[in-house]
Amino acid sequence: MFETVKLGHKVPEFELATYDPSTGKFGTFRFADQLNRRRWTVLFFYPADFTFV
Amino acid sequence: MGCDIVTVSTDTQYVHLAWRKTEKELANVRYPMGADPAGKVSRLFGVYDEDTGLDLRGTFIINPDGVLVNAEVNFYNLGRNIDELMRKFKANLHMFRKPTEVCPSKWKDEGDKTLVPSEELVGAVHEALNS
Repeated sequence: MFETVKLGHKVPEFELATYDPSTGKFGTFRFADQLNRRRWTVLFFYPADFTFV
Repeated sequence: MGCDIVTVSTDTQYVHLAWRKTEKELANVRYPMGADPAGKVSRLFGVYDEDTGLDLRGTFIINPDGVLVNAEVNFYNLGRNIDELMRKFKANLHMFRKPTEVCPSKWKDEGDKTLVPSEELVGAVHEALNS
């Protein structure tokens, strides 16, 4: 187990395979791209697809 | 607003596609849907539930320097309030631009009163908020 990110600390590089509804394509989200492009990021975790909230 | 939203669950991108295409409630969802079936990113943010293999309802705001500036985690049974998320995002945007200022609990939007911690403010927050 590695440590979780703490408030006020830098988030380490990570990647996620994605489905992007705006293009209808699969892709990859790279956190490093956000830093290079000077963008804010909001990560929105939820339990599972095909559920109810 | 210069912000990208990514939704994440432990489903694969293939399930994301199937869900997005069948559930009419998602017709307006345009954000990339991240797949974290191994729970790697979810563990990094402390929202991975080892007992179920699912993610708790975590919302994280990261600034352009890559610093985690806001974290909120709800249990399975409580949905998130988008107004409160917007408030937190706008407040962080404001404080990123003006790092000497802090946003009090009643701060809602640009133009609302902020505070600048100083010698004079100690013990005088009430007066500062109501002046």
